[in-house]
Amino acid sequence: MIHVTNLTKRYAGRTAVDEISFDVGRGEIVGFLGPNGAGKSTTLRMLTCYLSATEGRASVAGFDIFKDSIKVRKRVGYMPENVPLYLDMRVKEYLQFRARLKGMGYRESRAATDEAMDTCGLTDVQRKMINTLSKGYRQRVGLADALVNKPDLLVLDEPTNGLDPNQIRQVRDLIRQLGERHTILISTHILHEVEMTCGRVIILDKGQIKASDTPQNLVRRLRALGTVSVQVKGSPEAAMKEIEAMTGVRSVKHTITRQDWARIEIETEANTEICEEIFQIAVAKKWKLRELVQKTASLEDAFVNLTINKKEKKSDD
Amino acid sequence: MRAFTIIFWKELRSFFLSPLAYVVMALFTMLSGFLFVNMVKAMTANVNPQSLVFNLFSSGWFWMGFFILFPLITMRLFAEERKMGTLEGLFTAPVRTSEVVLAKFASTVVAYLVLILPMFLFFPIFKSLTGETAAFNDGALWGSFLGLLLVGILNIAIGVFASSLTQNQLIAAMLTFVGVMLHYMFGYLHHMSALPQSEFTAGLTYFSTVEHMQTLSDGLIDTRPMIYYLSFSAMLLALTHHVLEYRKWQA
Repeated sequence: MIHVTNLTKRYAGRTAVDEISFDVGRGEIVGFLGPNGAGKSTTLRMLTCYLSATEGRASVAGFDIFKDSIKVRKRVGYMPENVPLYLDMRVKEYLQFRARLKGMGYRESRAATDEAMDTCGLTDVQRKMINTLSKGYRQRVGLADALVNKPDLLVLDEPTNGLDPNQIRQVRDLIRQLGERHTILISTHILHEVEMTCGRVIILDKGQIKASDTPQNLVRRLRALGTVSVQVKGSPEAAMKEIEAMTGVRSVKHTITRQDWARIEIETEANTEICEEIFQIAVAKKWKLRELVQKTASLEDAFVNLTINKKEKKSDD
Repeated sequence: MRAFTIIFWKELRSFFLSPLAYVVMALFTMLSGFLFVNMVKAMTANVNPQSLVFNLFSSGWFWMGFFILFPLITMRLFAEERKMGTLEGLFTAPVRTSEVVLAKFASTVVAYLVLILPMFLFFPIFKSLTGETAAFNDGALWGSFLGLLLVGILNIAIGVFASSLTQNQLIAAMLTFVGVMLHYMFGYLHHMSALPQSEFTAGLTYFSTVEHMQTLSDGLIDTRPMIYYLSFSAMLLALTHHVLEYRKWQA
């Protein structure tokens, strides 16, 4: 469905997207994950032909985004970040305008508008002016707009941004439901959302792809690395020194002290079991221990590990 | 062409569904009505060799009021879409940039014609009420109409271009106003005795609105200004197209 090779976008003195390559197959729901400013929106804007790439190429549904831009745009339903809408139009009027703009005939557009409003739960507000709608409803109008002409690919830029938890759940259910019929590319910085809806995650940071896998695999790969958390009473320095000396330990970090209890986070090599060893040392040295946990990683850890850790390591050097 | 029609009607609709259209129409009709009455009175008091149409359209007062129209009707065209972000939705739909530019331009020209229609009706109403045939002839009337159409096309093209440059409607309006006024004032350059007169100032005068309107409101149709207005407008629209396309390549 999407085929991207070495796509690059440079703004003055800054590379927003740096030679990324990926593929999205028909019927997949792929999540674009990354901190703010990672280049997610820029990538989506290039794929929807709003911006041109500096280098590299990409095709959507077999059409080159540069040479066959109109054909690509006919097949893509895009919901931009913050969902811009014409506020002076009524919901139905707006959707019909969009459907017609996307190449549908008058009759066809009416049927498609009704269907899209039905899918997105907008039938009750179809006569309302868009500027009187709440953020949640506007988001749905944006979604209905994206899918009104039954595109092959849906591109949604932060679809749950700024919604309350109930609305987030509704939109998420809607996306999952749409995934049965469309290929979907979502960008988000909410990890939970990706875990819930996407079959595959592409983690983007500073314009580069850090990982591309299923959420489960990302977590598994990370879990193999392992994190152990220990809480000892008093000053953590002595304990940290002991733990650092153990085999299979990659890094030791004192994270927080609360009421005399110091928490130490330990990162270990893959498949290394150190809890028992720590326990024995603790007994031998008479440390007061409150916590000794082998942590199971979540997607959040994967995300932090792939994006934030890198920055910290760099600044440490 | 399909997208052109759809955007054209959408723009026209949203223009006439906004109060701005009626406020502008009412105020402009009032202003020109006042000038019209004034002109009729002046012509009754003194012998005047020129027609009513000619006198109205060569009066500086008329144009001052007239030029406020253009910033008001063009400022939102692209600036508002840029600010609201709807430009992104518009250009990710399968439409050509040229279709968008032309549709917005054409719908504004039509809106403009509707706005000045009441002012234009003054003349036939005056004629039928007074039975005064000597006030002006039909040629002068239609010539003026053509002139206003041409001036409108050019000034709207200036406004469209200005609106594409910024996301701030006020800045767009200001740019349009200055552009329109400068073009008009070129006509007075030749008459400013404080300035050294040269072929340059004479040449600038040749491009001015007043000059053209005087021939046209005499009922004399000269094709040279027509070509000038249309080609200048086409150039401004082409520039607008480039400004909008430039966003893609912005670095």
